[in-house]
Formats: sequence, structure tokens, C-alpha cells
Amino acid sequence: MSRLAPIVMDNGTGYTKLGFAGNTEPQCIFPTVVATQSSSSSSTSSSSSAGIPSSVTSTGPASSTRFASSSYLHTKRGLEDLDFYIGDEALQHAKTYSVNYPVRHGQVENWDHMERLWAQSIFKHLRAEPEDHSFLLTEPPLNAPENREQTAEIFFETFNVPALYIAVQAVLALAAGWTSGKVNDRTLTGTVIDSGDGVTHVIPVADGYVIGSSIKHIPIAGRDLTQFVQQLLRDRGENAFPPEDSMDVARRIKEEYAYVCPDIVKEFKRYDQEGEKYFKTFEGKHSVTQQLYRVDVGYERFLAPEVFFNPEIASSDFLTPLPEVVDNVVQTSPIDTRRGLYKNIVLSGGSTMFKDFGKRLQRDIKRIVDARIRKSEELSGGLLKSKPMDVNVISHKTQRYAVWFGGSLLASLPDFGSYCHTKAEYEEHGPSICRHNRVFGSLG
Amino acid sequence: MILLDHQNAVLRDTLKARFSTQKQELVNITLVDFDGVTYHVHTPDTDNLGILFVSMRLRCFSELQNYGATDLLRAEFGDTLQDKAEDGWDLTLKFDLSTSPGSEELLQKIANLKTIVLAAPFSRAFDQHDNETADPDLMTIHYRDEETIYVRAQSDRVTVIFSTVFREETDRIFGKVFLQEFVDARKQLALQNAPPVLHSREPPLELKHLPELAGVTEANGLHFITFVLFPRHFAPGPVRDSTIAQLQLFRDYLHYHIKCAKAHMHTRMRRRVAEFLKVLNRAKPERTDKEKKLASGRTFKRN
Repeated sequence: MSRLAPIVMDNGTGYTKLGFAGNTEPQCIFPTVVATQSSSSSSTSSSSSAGIPSSVTSTGPASSTRFASSSYLHTKRGLEDLDFYIGDEALQHAKTYSVNYPVRHGQVENWDHMERLWAQSIFKHLRAEPEDHSFLLTEPPLNAPENREQTAEIFFETFNVPALYIAVQAVLALAAGWTSGKVNDRTLTGTVIDSGDGVTHVIPVADGYVIGSSIKHIPIAGRDLTQFVQQLLRDRGENAFPPEDSMDVARRIKEEYAYVCPDIVKEFKRYDQEGEKYFKTFEGKHSVTQQLYRVDVGYERFLAPEVFFNPEIASSDFLTPLPEVVDNVVQTSPIDTRRGLYKNIVLSGGSTMFKDFGKRLQRDIKRIVDARIRKSEELSGGLLKSKPMDVNVISHKTQRYAVWFGGSLLASLPDFGSYCHTKAEYEEHGPSICRHNRVFGSLG
Repeated sequence: MILLDHQNAVLRDTLKARFSTQKQELVNITLVDFDGVTYHVHTPDTDNLGILFVSMRLRCFSELQNYGATDLLRAEFGDTLQDKAEDGWDLTLKFDLSTSPGSEELLQKIANLKTIVLAAPFSRAFDQHDNETADPDLMTIHYRDEETIYVRAQSDRVTVIFSTVFREETDRIFGKVFLQEFVDARKQLALQNAPPVLHSREPPLELKHLPELAGVTEANGLHFITFVLFPRHFAPGPVRDSTIAQLQLFRDYLHYHIKCAKAHMHTRMRRRVAEFLKVLNRAKPERTDKEKKLASGRTFKRN
């Protein structure tokens, strides 16, 4: 059964993407949420759900009532370990269970919950027997090796997986860029701009290795853009929609209508002159009364993504535009990688999906780079002539799930198996083997 | 939460997206189900994207065919079942969405594809029992590399035997506990009507004569789980269908439960370690000669 497709799992802060390698889209996407028996619901269940072994709890009223009622264990038998929900089901049971988010800032915080999430997602959502598949997992850049060991321990010990590979998300996003028509050589050097819901990262990667010292984080991402749209709507006095839905309406307007404009002043002028062409109406349905409502959509169409390029319109504490951050990142990277980093700037994540986002970014970065080259040529007094710098921003179809898709691409390579850590290796050397994962395409 | 669904939700959702939109696009998706079952959903014809192929491959298909799987499929899917499956696949269903859009009912059926195919030997045994067929045969289904299902009808019951093997030491122990639970389940008042379950490490009497099991002893690591089904468990209608669906998922349910139990154990172990660490940290002797620091930054020495 070893020829079964490997499973690719990308556990993000917000959503978990998982599916079988070889496909272009993940098969299951659900929020990374676990709902467990709440620990304070009642005194008897608290001791059991807290997971303290009954033989060693000797104090406390909870355990004494537990032993007093002999039928308690009997009725509870075989339930407590399976009594949890994940994903959308977890959110539905938020009233009777306590909801936990096991991944924070891309890193696993609660291994107990994560282990449960993995168990149920593999068996119930994917319907796969973990013993039959190899696994490709993802980790954020700068993940602690201890976390990787812990992950390996769970996968090899609990799930008995035959082989495991833990890939860095940024590298997978680069690999996903290979499908774009613009790329003709399959390199693992480039700058990844990963913008999800919570935070945007700019990550330089050279030959499959992340240059950790140059990574920059920007506190502007999807949610901030949504809030900005919400603010604009509120300021304009749009009140056709129910207030509790305003965030959702703002999000959908952002996703459906927003685009990136080349010049904000000209765009304003265009809207004022031929408004009927640009102003749109958003139609929604009240979730309770089922009544239809209409919301006018105006300048926020191009103002929302403009926050990346002119952050001062939305935020007061972070003011560096995205192109400048990207330029900074490349400039702080080792000098021999810079050409490669400019040449291959790959977008990943839902918040990079705006129309013409890549185009505008490429133009702005190119401007900064060209200005710098011109300056240095001037300073040299015309003695130095530098080769023009290639700046390429790559957008492609699978951008939204770029990390997952990159994983699917790599895991379906014929020699994927030889890059994995196998169970035999794990049993021989222990979890420390996962401190190092071989880079695809390398010889070492 | 506890029970596994017998439908393949991923397959259902994949097709639902196809069925519900008018926009037709190229699809090529490979999916996997329990026990090494693979599905392939694709549009082979780039000019007519309405034509959709759903193919399936499973290890024991030739055996299932002997037990009448094709007839069952034919009854469920009619003409959509192709006489000749695609290359490398065991069965193929063909849908033309441009002429007949898919319905919710069809969707449910396709999601149950594996259940329908694997139902063949079970339905056959139940029918043999109902018709009081003389000398019913023992049906073997090699559904996994090392694991087999045996089904046999008898005059007053139908016996279903699973042979299973646990490759991991920990799994073996958990597995033993769970199998014991299955055997003991009938002792509970609420479960008096459950089918009796027997667990043994040696081939049960029904299988003693099989050449492939000759010489199998406890040392081989095989476990045999026997379900004895009485007529009330397979009364025609929904009871029979649910019995078949649940039996098929027995192994997956068992392994799912083992994994969850392990996760539960690990939770307890981590908690224990954290407690012990607290105790250890409390026991650390404090050094009195060290300079202490105040919040204001001033330092002092205790004497």
C-alpha cells in the first residue's frame, strides 16, 4: 500500500489545509480549532477531562466523589478520549465545549489539542489510515527545533506514519511559484511575501534555506484590511446591513470588489468623473430575517489594498510601505543572493489575491532599485556602469493555498521518499533526526 | 465525534462543487479512502467538460466481483457504470453533466461507493441465510495486505470474522484492551441485543481448514475477531444497510480509537511531567549568598 499518495498538511494559525499530494487544491480546509469538554462544567467531569490518572489523584473532592459512585467509570468508559470536535464542528459546539486554538502565530502552542486535531482530521475528514501514507507537514520559518521534534514524536509514536517530512512554508511557496509561466528555471532562491489573515511575512530564501536574520514581519494583513473597509463604510454612513454582520460584509466587499490601482489620485478622479462605471452595489441577506439589503461600494475598492502601499491611511504605528520592506529585506541579505532574491518574488496567502497586486508591487520595487542604481552611478562619476537589476513579482493561480500546493508538488515528486525521515530511522536515532530536513534538489 | 461516517465526505464535497455550478472546468483529482481505496475524479475530454469520470481502485475488487459486486453497482448506478473500467482502475462511472445534472441523491450514492462495493459479500451471505441455501460458501476478502475479512452464512446466523495485525507494540496492547471491550460489551444492560463478539489469537474453528491459515498460531501476531450476527441484526431494510456499513468500518474505527486513546494517554503523561517538574523546581535549594535584585534595580544581600 506504499503507493498511496502522500498526505500534505498545512496547519496555519487560522485554517488547516490538508489533502492528498498530486492535487491542485487541498481537500479539506477548516479552522484550526479544537473543542474539548470544558474543564469547569461540573466537578465530576472536571477531574476526568483534566486527564489526571485516577490512580494517582488522591486528594480533592472531585476524585472522592468519583470513587464513591462506582458506576461513574463504567458510564464514562471509552468516551473521554474521543469526546472532542475539530474545525467547523468545534465552532458549532462552542456553547457546550471549550474552544481552543492550538496554533498561535504559526507555532503549535498546545500539543495535547494538536494531537487530537491531527487524529480526527486524518481519520474523519481525510479518511486515511496514517500507517499507509507518508506525510508532509509544514512549519513556519524560525520554528524551534524542539517543536519539530515534538511533531515527529507525535507522528511516529501516535500515528505510526511510515515516513515524514517537515518543510518550511516559505520554501513550499517558492516551489508553488514554479507553475507560473514567468518562471523557467526551478530554483529555490527567492523572496516570499506571505500574507494571511493575521500577519504578513517577507522571507528571503536562498537555495532552499531561509535567511533567518533578514525576515521581516508587517503587522498589516487581511484582518486589518477588513477593519479598514469596515471603518470606511461606517464613516460614510452605510447602515443598510445589520451591525453584527458589518465585519462579514466588509470582508466580502474586500474579497469580491477590491483591486490595486496604479495611481491613487488618478483613480479618485476617475471615480468622480465616471462613477457609474466604478461604483458597485453589494447585495447581502440578513442572517436572521432573510431580508435582502444593498450596500454601495465606492473608493474602498482600491483603498483597501492600498493600505499595503501607503499604510498611513489606515494605521498610525506602522508606516513603512510593503515595497520598501521587501527592498530592505533583500538589502540586508548576503550580497551574492540579492540578484536571485529580486528576480523571484513570490506571493502567497489570501491577502495577496487582489487584482494587479503583483504588478504594482513589481513597479514600486523596481522604482526603488532603479533609483538606488542611478544614485550609485552618479556618485561614481559615470565610471561605474551596473547591470540592470531584474525585478520579478510572480503571481499564479494557486496563490491562495500556495504553501499547500507547493507541498503537494514536492510530495508527488518521484524521489520524495528519499527526502523523508522513515520510521526505522526514527526508531534508531530518536526524534532528533528531524532537527534537519534535507532540502529538495540538494545532494547533501 | 465518536463514530466515523460511512460516506466519503471529501468525495461528496468535491463532486458537490462540480454538480452545483454551471461553470465547467477541468478536474483531475485523486482521493484516498480507508483500506487503500483510491478514487480518481476527472474530465477526460477537454472539449466537452461536462463529461465526468469517477474511477475507483481497491485491492480486493476481483474477489468482490465474484460475490456479486457488479450487480449491486449496476442496481445503484445503472448505465453510468462503464462495462470496461479505465486503465489501471477497477471500476468507472461516467456522468454527462451537460445533459443530466447531478442530483443530491446521486451525490449520496457516489459518496457511498466504497460501502456499496464492499457490501457484496455481506449481502450475499445475508441472502444465503434468508433463502436457506444449502451449504453456503465461506467468502474471503483480502481487503488489506495482511488483513482479511471472512463471511459465512449458517443456518441460524451469519459469521463475520476479521483477521487483523498490530504492527506496533503499543498498538497491540491498546488493541487487546479494546477487543476485550468488544467481547465484554454484551455484559452491559443496554447492549444485550448486540451481536456476540469473540476474540482469539488462533484461527477460529470456521477457518481451521483454510490452507492460508494452516499453522497460524499465537506467535504470528494475528488477531481474529468474530462477529456472530443473528437474523435480527440483518433484517432487510435500514437495519441491514447500517449493519453492513458499520462492519466495514470496524477496523478503521478500532484504529481511530487506538490513536485517540494514545493521544489521551500522552495528554496525561505531559500533565504528569509538568507536575513532577513543579515538584523538582520546588525542591531546588535556594542559594543564600547570592545578590538579590529589587524591582527598582537596587541590589542587596541577605544574611
